[in-house]
Amino acid sequence: MLTLATLLAGGQGSNIFVQQIENGITLGAVYALVALGYTLVYGIIELINFAHGDIFMWSTVVILAVVQGFGFKSPLGGLALVGLLLLLIVIGMVVSATLNVTVEYFAYRPLRKAPRLAPLIAAIGVSFILETIAELWRGSGPVAFPTIFPTNGFYILGARVNYLDIFILVLALALMYALNVFIQQTRMGRAMRAVAQDPEAAALMGVNINRTISTTFLIGGALAGAAGVIYSMYNGQVWFFTGFELGLIAFTAAVLGGIGNTYGAVLGGFVIGLIESLAIQYIPNGTTIGDAVVFAILVLILVLRPSGLLGQQVPNKV
Amino acid sequence: MLIQYRRSVDEIRQTLSTTNIAGRPLSWYLGGWRLGIFFLALALIFPWTLSDQTLVVDAISIGIYVLLALGLNIVVGYAGLLDLGYVAFFVIGAYTVAVGTSGFLQNSKGQTFTIPTASFWVLLPIAALAAGLFGVLLGAPTLRLRGDYLAIVTLGFGQIVPSIFAYVPYFFSNIGMSALPPPDVGPITFSDPLNNLPFYYLTLALVVLVILAVAALRDSSLGRAWVAIREDETAAAASGINLVRTKLLAFGLGAVTGGIGGALNAAYLKTIAPSDFNFDISITILIMIVLGGIGSIPGVILGAIVLRFIDVYLIGNVSNAVQTNPFTAHLLGGIDLNQSKYLIYGIILVLMILLRPQGLIPNTRRSRELAGIGASVEGASAVGLLAREESESVETAADDQGSTSEASSFAGAGSDAQGREG
Repeated sequence: MLTLATLLAGGQGSNIFVQQIENGITLGAVYALVALGYTLVYGIIELINFAHGDIFMWSTVVILAVVQGFGFKSPLGGLALVGLLLLLIVIGMVVSATLNVTVEYFAYRPLRKAPRLAPLIAAIGVSFILETIAELWRGSGPVAFPTIFPTNGFYILGARVNYLDIFILVLALALMYALNVFIQQTRMGRAMRAVAQDPEAAALMGVNINRTISTTFLIGGALAGAAGVIYSMYNGQVWFFTGFELGLIAFTAAVLGGIGNTYGAVLGGFVIGLIESLAIQYIPNGTTIGDAVVFAILVLILVLRPSGLLGQQVPNKV
Repeated sequence: MLIQYRRSVDEIRQTLSTTNIAGRPLSWYLGGWRLGIFFLALALIFPWTLSDQTLVVDAISIGIYVLLALGLNIVVGYAGLLDLGYVAFFVIGAYTVAVGTSGFLQNSKGQTFTIPTASFWVLLPIAALAAGLFGVLLGAPTLRLRGDYLAIVTLGFGQIVPSIFAYVPYFFSNIGMSALPPPDVGPITFSDPLNNLPFYYLTLALVVLVILAVAALRDSSLGRAWVAIREDETAAAASGINLVRTKLLAFGLGAVTGGIGGALNAAYLKTIAPSDFNFDISITILIMIVLGGIGSIPGVILGAIVLRFIDVYLIGNVSNAVQTNPFTAHLLGGIDLNQSKYLIYGIILVLMILLRPQGLIPNTRRSRELAGIGASVEGASAVGLLAREESESVETAADDQGSTSEASSFAGAGSDAQGREG
């Protein structure tokens, strides 16, 4: 039984439960950012962007090349760190956003009128292409990402909190807030909501459908790019296959929250992050079966509550 | 060859509305199968024309993939359900044979114990049934989901099932099982590494059996119900088709075929490990179908052959040629072309879907769906964001009446539009 007193008296890094909660929140921030990309795209064109995880992965491989290009190997401090972080985030976001918009233009746009599964199959193909090019470039094994962020931190409730974790959480929340403002208060945001609701009516009202969809892919890609930067620093390695695994987890998060709902994606991301880090700790041999646990959750949600935690039940259109 | 085949298809369609024997016109057997018998004869004499037996080994692996592709085609091609975790059934079939023939299991303390063993021939149908049962169990709660959700759930199953075999101790965890007894019968031995003919003919026999079964299913009322569901679920349900039961049958029968493939593969390789079964297998089989022609039996077979050919010969040979030539080797640096297999797979998927979604040997009904011919309410897809299936409701509803009640006045018109190609 955990009481506040025992928690506060937990000492340095002695409370595994709180530590796993802390890890889960940090991981959840990354999942939430990637999940937003799935949910935005699904919300607007009802496509499961199977390649979204690989869009995320491409941010990680490109910023790894940038960091290696500068030759940084040890943690930086002061202005150098701030400058590098800004540069990496901008590069990561631009790479993923550009890639996502390009993929949409060439692979998904021609298939808008095709049967529903056609763009999904195209997305699987794109995913394979993106993965294999990254594998050919960076090799088939994980590559270490240099530690550029200071590794110090502090203890709270018996759990170690690195400054990096704080940075990850703050950046993720800031981006989510910016996204919310964009969707709710700008003209393009209103167009996105309109197209998601009824593309025909939106088109009749003068909304440029193609531009709106491109913008959605741009935003989803940019969020995944930012997630790629923080995940590389957090995880300490870059691997071509990360996108597939993390993408599926993030998709689960989006479905858990209610796909198409941005608040749901954020909630789902944090919940899945927590579940995963607790499952790894408390299920025997948790790392072997961790993915299976996430999938089991996905299957259960889809079967029991397909609309997710915050989603609405949408009747089939005829 | 192709032209001749297509002509026979037209003959079939003409006779379709007139003579029906046990649900199938006689000319259907004679016309459509002439080419089939030709290829079967070719396959029967094929090993005797070779001096080098390595081709027979390749042919066996192609045959196993053909089996799997035909099974997945029931689910994806006929019923239109995208299954991204087909490997799950392959695993079940493989483990059934592995455990049943070797008789070895392991308890949670890591000690090996034995159970009664059975021959491969007894276990083959059991493996098929086990996989089918498993398919029904998986499908029952999930087949109510919309198509794209189903794709992800099946993908999940494809990941979970092998990792459960890796996780639980009973099946030797990650190590898997090896030295499985061969399915010897009397004087016919399947264990001679220099003579792969028994396995070749076993594989061929199973492939022929599955082709016959799949063709019969396609032309049954169940097959027409699958097409109706694929084209428009809502209209199919409105026409009296039980959606869950029909989808479940597609899923279960696809799983049965996957189980047969898994059983055969385990007996052939004589070794299995959970790491052999992954998403790559599911997706490879899907690519075979998309490449060859979704819903088309000859297409799917061709797709499996072409993809295995690319995999085994093209990539290996090109890679060797590039590496041995100093100039191109320098040009590519350390890049290993053997890794580029999935790049080629990805390009095939994207290009096929964009440029030739009906595949190499199309199923003509499917092509019409893709081309949008017969769409009654063109306006519905004017903006292009609505799924195309939604605009076909009227046509399918009419078709469907014909398929479910042969005696009704719609029967002629209904089955005329069915098309017996592929």
